[in-house]
Amino acid sequence: MASAAARSFVFRQHINTCRLDFASCLNIKSFYSSYSANPKEKSPEHYTQYHEVSSDNWKFVERLKPPTVVPSFPKNGSYFSDWTPPPDTPPNLPYFVKRTKNFMVPVYLNFEAIRNQRKITMVKHIEGDIWAMEKDIKSHLEEVTKRPVVSQVHEVGMYIKFRGDYALHVKKWLLNAGF
Amino acid sequence: MATKIINKTVTELSLRITRCFFVPSKAIQTNAALFQERSETSITNVEEQLLPTIRPPLPIIYSRKLAFPPKFKAVRQAWVSNMDTVEEEKLGLIDLHPEVFAERPRVDIIHENVRWQQLYRHVSYANTKVRYEVRGGGRKPRPQKGSGRSRHGSIRSPIWRGGGIVHGPRSPTPYFYMLSFNARLNGLRSTLSAKLAQDDLHIVDSLDIPTDDPSYLEKLVEERGWGPAVLFVDDNDIMPLNITAASDVHGHYNLMPVYGLNVHSMLKHHTLVLTLAAVERIEERLLFHLNRNDAAEAGRKHRLDSL
Repeated sequence: MASAAARSFVFRQHINTCRLDFASCLNIKSFYSSYSANPKEKSPEHYTQYHEVSSDNWKFVERLKPPTVVPSFPKNGSYFSDWTPPPDTPPNLPYFVKRTKNFMVPVYLNFEAIRNQRKITMVKHIEGDIWAMEKDIKSHLEEVTKRPVVSQVHEVGMYIKFRGDYALHVKKWLLNAGF
Repeated sequence: MATKIINKTVTELSLRITRCFFVPSKAIQTNAALFQERSETSITNVEEQLLPTIRPPLPIIYSRKLAFPPKFKAVRQAWVSNMDTVEEEKLGLIDLHPEVFAERPRVDIIHENVRWQQLYRHVSYANTKVRYEVRGGGRKPRPQKGSGRSRHGSIRSPIWRGGGIVHGPRSPTPYFYMLSFNARLNGLRSTLSAKLAQDDLHIVDSLDIPTDDPSYLEKLVEERGWGPAVLFVDDNDIMPLNITAASDVHGHYNLMPVYGLNVHSMLKHHTLVLTLAAVERIEERLLFHLNRNDAAEAGRKHRLDSL
């Protein structure tokens, strides 16, 4: 039994030393996906020759690629469509409507209900006093169309919906207001 | 005795550190020397190891360039602290982009994100047997006519006691779905904004701490009033050795690279600690996604109705 205990002690010590050796020879390997990392790879002279034609011509390739991020609009002032750029100063109102990432006014005409029977005009990206804005737009629409307008104010999503196709009216109102 | 201490710490660390790998600090090149240093610090007293930190005149960090500068929204500001000492030392003040850190927190979107994170990997292994799987029931129990009793084709039909279940759970049932790109994006924005607004977001210059003693982290968190659970986020996924070893002992101090940032983890940990590099990366990424037009490409590979 004493010899068994001695053997187990020796065995445990042996394991400990083995673990230390294994741990000490750990290497954090890095696997790069490149042919040049392969030891069989030779220097570039052994492979096919190439010569550079022109690096200036790359610009013709680059201008074909679509931009990853929306580029800023030209600030020269003359735009052929009826798009107007967002103003530099916000209007003096208790609410604000931010332009989309494409610098468009965030008014959308959606079709809701079964068979797209219901036309809903939606104004998104509203900040501030949404109820005041709803009152202003609603009164303007009722003035223009001489008809009662039904609206929905969504305080969590910060959007307003009007039942009907008033997209152009709302857009004009927003542009006039200075958003 | 020294050998035993080395082995214990090495095996523990190697078993438990799965997502973060540690590298030796700059002065140490070999792994053997690394383990040697580890044993020394664990034996000696913590206070003796900490040298007084010498700093240039404050503020060290005082400016930051914001990509897509906000036009009408006020820029938010936050202190940059240090991790060198237990007491907090403010190294400077930086600007934070309001589109990322001051967005109106949408609680419904945060909930959607948490639900998605919990559910997309869930597989239900509950199973019930259908009538053809239940043992028996191949023979017609009695002739169609003549007995005066109701007619049956098998004793395991669903109307029988002990028969098969018609619309029961069928194992394995995956609950995988992909939340829309914008829902995930706005979830991150809402959670970061909520964390900043609720004073649970702290920015540090880096995650280098002077010692790997776990009690250093405890004292630091206690002193600064950070929550019981702290999530440290850095841009790199290979974290400094000291903080890796110190936080390895505690399950409530966790290290995370920026690419692992998610709504569930941010809510689960009371305090979120970002390094400056992490703030830069998060802002750069989120603002890029907010200003790109091809976000639909990002979600295309996860559509369930197409191959």
